Amino acid sequence: MFEYLSYGDSGFGDELLAGSLLTIELALVSLVVGIFLGLLTAAAKLSKNRFYKAIAHLYTEVVRGIPEMLVVLVVFFGTSVLIQTIAEWFDYSDYIEVNAFVAGVFALGMVFGAFSSEVFRGAFLAVPKGQLEAATACGMSHWQVFHRIRLPQMWRFAIPGLGNLWMVLLKDTSLISIIALDELLRWSKVAAETTKQPFTFYIAAACIYLVLTIFSDVIRNYFETKANRGIAPHA
Amino acid sequence: MSSTAAISITDLHKTFGSNEVLKGVSLLAHPGDVVSILGSSGSGKSTLLRCINLLEIPTSGNISINGEPLKLEKNRYGDLQPVEPKQITKIRSKLSMVFQSFNLWSHMTIIENIIEAPIHVLKKNKAQAIEEAMKLLNKVGIAEKAHCYPGELSGGQQQRVAIARALAMEPDALLFDEPTSALDPELVNEVLQVMRQLANEGRTMIVVTHEMGFAREVSDQVIFLHEGKIEEQGTPDKVFDNPDSERFKQFLSSGL
Ligand SMILES: Nc1ncnc2c1ncn2[C@@H]1O[C@H](COP(=O)(O)OP(=O)(O)OP(=O)(O)O)[C@@H](O)[C@H]1O
Ligand SMILES: [Mg+2]
Repeated sequence: MFEYLSYGDSGFGDELLAGSLLTIELALVSLVVGIFLGLLTAAAKLSKNRFYKAIAHLYTEVVRGIPEMLVVLVVFFGTSVLIQTIAEWFDYSDYIEVNAFVAGVFALGMVFGAFSSEVFRGAFLAVPKGQLEAATACGMSHWQVFHRIRLPQMWRFAIPGLGNLWMVLLKDTSLISIIALDELLRWSKVAAETTKQPFTFYIAAACIYLVLTIFSDVIRNYFETKANRGIAPHA
Repeated sequence: MSSTAAISITDLHKTFGSNEVLKGVSLLAHPGDVVSILGSSGSGKSTLLRCINLLEIPTSGNISINGEPLKLEKNRYGDLQPVEPKQITKIRSKLSMVFQSFNLWSHMTIIENIIEAPIHVLKKNKAQAIEEAMKLLNKVGIAEKAHCYPGELSGGQQQRVAIARALAMEPDALLFDEPTSALDPELVNEVLQVMRQLANEGRTMIVVTHEMGFAREVSDQVIFLHEGKIEEQGTPDKVFDNPDSERFKQFLSSGL
């Protein structure tokens, strides 16, 4: 069975590798977008402005209530309709293809943002109030208190939750295969169908996902230790 | 009375919702004065201190720091708010506060805790801030812990670091809110010792405390707060030996 997995023209090893790399890339870029959206949404939820609050809650509720697969499809076809419409305003009528990678990042980032906003909100609130007050009492501005005291301490409360969401995100990248992005699962499917060896390739894909999640755990541990420095040295 | 008062407060009121916590408090501290504030729990001691450095904005009344009056104006809800927000951060940086629960920043080492505000608020350069911080740590007897994190120190050590952090701002006055109340009894003295030394150096201090012996020994003025009003006020000798207020007598005899 291993010849099917070999590297080069005869096997699908190189395709699986390329697929894995694209999966990692997709997950990482989505993570960055998702963290940004999550922080922004958490800030809106914690702000005093009712309008920001309402928007943030609406976004979270909607995205959390819809299956991820549908978010992917809605974003993919939604953006393509949107772009086409905008293009037509400018009298451009040729078909414009939406980049599957960009649509995938957007969809996964939106999902990650919605879920992580709750993690961030809790983490911001978990930073001891007295420490923020001490900073205010020294004459630090709101912004200084936020980025010197609150933000760095927030991570230690957020990382465990973010770690879980990252695992979900990593696996959710496989959903992007439905919009024809050549990530790991899609290549496995192609290989399985071409070689008539579905078991071999799906097991191979499963192993790769597993390696990625185990490796992620190592990295999460590193960040957790770093965020906890001085607080819980052996936790 | 010729010198400018370090802290001057007149007819301060503070209301939370419908709960009037301060009902017209006036207080005058000259440079070098140590003012102790006594009172039972809920009498408004912390609120008074927090109003002085504007962690709470008073509902009405006047506050002057070093002769500079804090400018407050009524907003459209009828509450006071600062005319210039910058003035608030400026005043805060001149009045350092020491809290009951230390409130050291737990993600920073001791030395980082001390240089943080001098660098980011006073805009000192780092080398100078570190040099001054080490002197202060020596002064509070804790220099060997400079690179530890607050979580690795005892309560008494943490509070001494908090005092060093307060001093690093080169404040005109120090505000203490029950600095020894969260400490184990055997650690109280090491903190009081540092505070005694500061009082002897002629620093202006406002101290909310339950340590009667300390209040009597170092204060120039003792204030007893009851339900948001000053019930008894004067020099320690007068207040402790010859109190006018029945409530203060009861407070003294109850041991707290
Ligand atoms: N932010 C706030 N919002 C509402 N009520 C408050 C607030 N801060 C204080 N209070 C109320 O004001 C009253 C006085 O509180 P304060 O903390 O000033 O008392 P204290 O004299 O310092 O007491 P303690 O000895 O327990 O520290 C209390 O009834 C308290 O519930
Ligand atoms: Mg108090």
